[in-house]
Amino acid sequence: MAKVVLDKPGEAKEPARIGVYVCHCGGNISDYVDVAKVAETVAKEDGSVVVSKHLMFDCSDVAQQEMIDDIQKLKLNRLVTAACSPKLHEATFRAAAKRAGLNQYLTYHANIREQSSWPHSDDPHGATEKATSHVRSGIAYVKSAQPLDVLRSESTQSVMVVGGGVTGLRAALDLARMNVRVYLVEKAPYLGGHVAELASTYPLGEKGIAIVQRLVSEIQEQPNITVFTNAELVSFKGYVGKFSVTVRMNPRYVVDRSPRFAEAIEACPVQVPEEFDHGLTVRKAIYWPRGPTVPHLPLIDLGLCTRCGACERLLGKAVRFDQPPENLELQVGSVIVSTGFEDYTPALGEYGYGEIPDVVTLPEFERMLEFGDGSGLRHNGHAVGSIAYLYCVGSRQKPGEATTPGSPAHAYCSRFCCNATIHNALDVSGRYPDVRLYHFYRDIRTYGRNELLYEKAGRAGSIFVRYTEDHPPVVSQRDGTAHVTVQASILQNEAVDFPVDLVVLVTGMVSRENRSLNEMLSLPIGPDGFYREVHQKLRPVETNTAGLLIAGTAQAPKDIRETLYSGSAAAAKAATFALKKELELEPFVAFVDPARCSASGKCVAECPYGAIELREQGDFGKKAWVNSAVCKGCGACVAVCPTEAIQRAGFSNDQIRDMIRALGVAEEGA
Amino acid sequence: MAAAGFEPRILVLSTNAISDPGIDYAGSGHVHYPAAARVLRFPCSSMIRPEFILHAFRSGFSGVLIAADGGDCPYLRDCPERTSRRINDAYALLKANGIDPSRLRMSGICSVCSEAFAKHVKSLYEAVQKLGPVVPPGA
Amino acid sequence: MVEAVTVAPKTAEHYDVLVVGAGIAGMEASLTLGDMGMKVLLVEKSPTIGGRLLLLSKVFPTLDCASCISGTKTSGTSHHPNVTMMTYSEVSEIRRNDKDGSFSLRYVEKPRYIDTALCTGCGECEKACPIILPKETEYGLRGRKAIYIPFDTAVPKKAVLDLDNCIFCGACERVCPADSIDFLQAPREHEAEVGAVILATGFEPFPIEKKESYHYGQFPNVVTSLQMDRLTGPTRPFNSILRPSDGKEPSNIAYALCAGSRDKTVGNLRCSQVCCMYSMKQAQLILGTLPAADVTLYYMDIRAYGKGFEEFYQQTKAMGVKFVRGRVAQVEEEKNGDLTVYHEDTEGPGGKGKSTHDLLVLSVGLLPMRGIEKVFKNATLELDEMGWVKLRDETRSPSETSIDGVFSAGTASGPKDVPDSIAEAASAAAQAVGYVLSWREKTGAAVGIPLPKSMPVPMPQAVEVAAK
Repeated sequence: MAKVVLDKPGEAKEPARIGVYVCHCGGNISDYVDVAKVAETVAKEDGSVVVSKHLMFDCSDVAQQEMIDDIQKLKLNRLVTAACSPKLHEATFRAAAKRAGLNQYLTYHANIREQSSWPHSDDPHGATEKATSHVRSGIAYVKSAQPLDVLRSESTQSVMVVGGGVTGLRAALDLARMNVRVYLVEKAPYLGGHVAELASTYPLGEKGIAIVQRLVSEIQEQPNITVFTNAELVSFKGYVGKFSVTVRMNPRYVVDRSPRFAEAIEACPVQVPEEFDHGLTVRKAIYWPRGPTVPHLPLIDLGLCTRCGACERLLGKAVRFDQPPENLELQVGSVIVSTGFEDYTPALGEYGYGEIPDVVTLPEFERMLEFGDGSGLRHNGHAVGSIAYLYCVGSRQKPGEATTPGSPAHAYCSRFCCNATIHNALDVSGRYPDVRLYHFYRDIRTYGRNELLYEKAGRAGSIFVRYTEDHPPVVSQRDGTAHVTVQASILQNEAVDFPVDLVVLVTGMVSRENRSLNEMLSLPIGPDGFYREVHQKLRPVETNTAGLLIAGTAQAPKDIRETLYSGSAAAAKAATFALKKELELEPFVAFVDPARCSASGKCVAECPYGAIELREQGDFGKKAWVNSAVCKGCGACVAVCPTEAIQRAGFSNDQIRDMIRALGVAEEGA
Repeated sequence: MAAAGFEPRILVLSTNAISDPGIDYAGSGHVHYPAAARVLRFPCSSMIRPEFILHAFRSGFSGVLIAADGGDCPYLRDCPERTSRRINDAYALLKANGIDPSRLRMSGICSVCSEAFAKHVKSLYEAVQKLGPVVPPGA
Repeated sequence: MVEAVTVAPKTAEHYDVLVVGAGIAGMEASLTLGDMGMKVLLVEKSPTIGGRLLLLSKVFPTLDCASCISGTKTSGTSHHPNVTMMTYSEVSEIRRNDKDGSFSLRYVEKPRYIDTALCTGCGECEKACPIILPKETEYGLRGRKAIYIPFDTAVPKKAVLDLDNCIFCGACERVCPADSIDFLQAPREHEAEVGAVILATGFEPFPIEKKESYHYGQFPNVVTSLQMDRLTGPTRPFNSILRPSDGKEPSNIAYALCAGSRDKTVGNLRCSQVCCMYSMKQAQLILGTLPAADVTLYYMDIRAYGKGFEEFYQQTKAMGVKFVRGRVAQVEEEKNGDLTVYHEDTEGPGGKGKSTHDLLVLSVGLLPMRGIEKVFKNATLELDEMGWVKLRDETRSPSETSIDGVFSAGTASGPKDVPDSIAEAASAAAQAVGYVLSWREKTGAAVGIPLPKSMPVPMPQAVEVAAK
């Protein structure tokens, strides 16, 4: 880690030899500001000003050459330019100083056009005084300026992706294609997340598992990617370029291949509902995960296993009940968190869910469609001739409407569900043309080209009935049939009853419970429960912690295409670190004088980036320490330090005081 | 009462990313405000130590305007809260030193808020002109 | 912008990636690539970078000042050592080299008639020019001169001379303190070789004159949402919101949503994805300026689908903005300039309604910016039926277009808001780099990205071509 080197007190400093160049800007300044007077005044006042000139255009090649020549011939060691806004030309003069062999930060660019001549074109005297004082502050600045250099920090050229849904798969693939080493860690025993469960995805009608498999087959071709399924993070430390992460690979208890897996699974006496199918099917205690697995082995759910030994007898040494978890410590430069979402689970009795057998959620219905045998849609032992979709279940909730006690209401819209439901209706119409479909909705949010799906569904016979938030539909059961009662303007605001064979609750996305990961990584969480990006408009995949990125539905609800974009975007941001052996960082960071530090810890608490910590520093004891790879140079810590021990490189407290004093100097006669 | 012919000087503390460009924008548009307003730019207004403000009043300034970023700060989401804390501390410090805290003001200036900036400078200038110069305690 | 390097090198320039269009998506793609160490050529056809976002008032749902948040991107782009920014330039030809997957291109730097190395952006020429024209960036709400700086926060802040409207009076030439005006400037054609291409060509607003029943262009108090955005912004032309016919402050403003969207009669069935949100944003800003005004939104569905959008919708309702569910069918003008709006009202009695407002804002939809498909000479850039860039494989690698090595970013492939544009831009950057590296591997060229060079990238090869 680079250090900011300060002049030690008492150390002889070479006396400042300053060159001042005041720009006319072809009249834009000199028409209102007496540039000759400005140049003369500061030269007269200050013995360290060796040369003070006024030039037609400071930024011209000729003028820059003149500065360079002066620096070299007159042995100038500081440069002050006074011209337009530093936003336009500060970089120009820093570059000129560099060409002259002067450290580029021993310069100051005073703003005397946008902040003197132009706003005070009505007051040439005032404009001249102000310009003079801005130049004085520049002189004060450079006098105590220190040479600075770009900070360098080593960068590990590898990335960890946490979460192996389509977002994480995409991110891993993009990074590998950019020749970056990737560790992909998935908690479940298989890859593909929720997408793997989908019977048909919008807008193309592909099976979710097909989308997953295409990505996984590309991943398999990438030697740069190491995949860990059934694994999780157990420790995390470090900072951008140098994170150290421990991954625990949980045991599968099946350690080797065998030709007899099918028999062994058949032999297992334990049977539980299969989560992947939302309980519509069953699995055994030893089972094959339903998505792509790495390694390609079944696993034993030890919590369910009765240790009857049936599988072991068939599989022999391939089963190892004493397989321990294995910890692996990995060094990575950045981490992408793409841990996804959870389906909203309606509360018991919410729109009849869990009480009326003909009420299911959309994810459950997706799985039901997978098991159709072509003879017609059936549920709960009867044929399904009509379906009611109820939108916004668990989304767009009013305050206090939360169905889970203690959790905040889901005030947000889940984004994908209108599109997904209408696509689902089209899918049903395609498979079972005679099924009547009713949609009870608040607003149909088929944004963008998804509108075409909506239009098509209307033509395919779907009936859309809008309800308002004040009159939500009621689901009841009479004579064994589910009824949806709704009051809607299209129905003359009368309560109308729709008996249907199946009610599909269109449930949204909710954030995933992941407390230990969130705490380990200090992930910021927004009011909607999803991860909070550092800037909602401009930096959707970045967090306050440099090198810690968020992607996919862990950040907000998204559809498949959008989540892939998000995964790629996070890969791009990770690559800005991972493609470099060394990170170059702006030198304007905070630094601590440990001799002055009272270890109050105030700066540690104030820093929004977690860049400061108290650590042992030799003879000084435990003092504040700034990780300059993490510091962004905002200076918030500077304001709270009781002893002025922490200051900002390139803008020290003494410099600030000197500049304020210089700005406050009264003109003679004023 | 204001001293006769008293010409107050105002120190504006701006921020690199947002309010300083806003002040530039006033200049580009030739929006006028008193030339007595001198500008010193900070990376972020949450860096301003209350003592800097006291130092300004002791260096000849009779008014200080903090041109903050408001919610647009590129560094800190809670920049307005942090800057408010600095200002509250500064108020206390000024009071303790016998300086009228109304000489210090803060306003969020966006990168194109030229009119708002000019208005705030003018208003502070006028207020400070009425208050007269800062008189050190015991003077 | 690369400063102070004007010497043309002898050979065609090489870049890792070409980015076409310097709106928010193009800037984000360029900055991300530049930060990865890739050399980028960014070509923008207008005289400045920043695109549509820079000119907006505030952005939904955060109400951040658009200029504040995009200013960091414009200055970052213009100073990035790995990004060569060419404004007022248009790509004229792109050929894919099937041998190594790279692209050869030509682009033309249009004459600004200004020596940009000399111009300081002071605006003296503007003051001297006698010709007044409607200002494009203000949607005609303000005027500009024949020689002008596009707007105060322009990057680069350099003048441009609109020769078609110039009367050659020479006034600008006489006052320019930097002697930067050059009437003899000719278009300069450049050649470059790049490894991949990112299209960030953006959108254009729906030409709402086509919807005749709304009478845009005929009734002065029927304005577009783009004009209204300028009127609600901090840099607005008047210091308040005024209606065009008589300069009166409106007190009863209506928004017709889906103007040019979800509408078979104008040939655009799609939803434009951003209009609900920007209309609600404007409604909130109007209430900030004119707290006593009535604001009514005529809508079909409020599509508050993104992060924080639904919450913003609820907030807008709570502020007193009236939402009437139904599309505006017909607009009539009263003698005093007020507008009578005939609309559906699916939730009211009778299913329709008629109301009078003193200003009607049309929430216009988005259409693709066409033309880029024509520059591909030996490959076909496929567009969808509306003309948006077609994505080849959106459930696998959604930035890919029909041409290998050509990627789409931002609204080039369809309407979207800023965060989605940003994500797509970064995604295109990742996929473009993956593409470039995989080809380098295949062709045995050096693999791995060169670290950023400390020296600025030289300007691309310039060849003088005859002026029109």
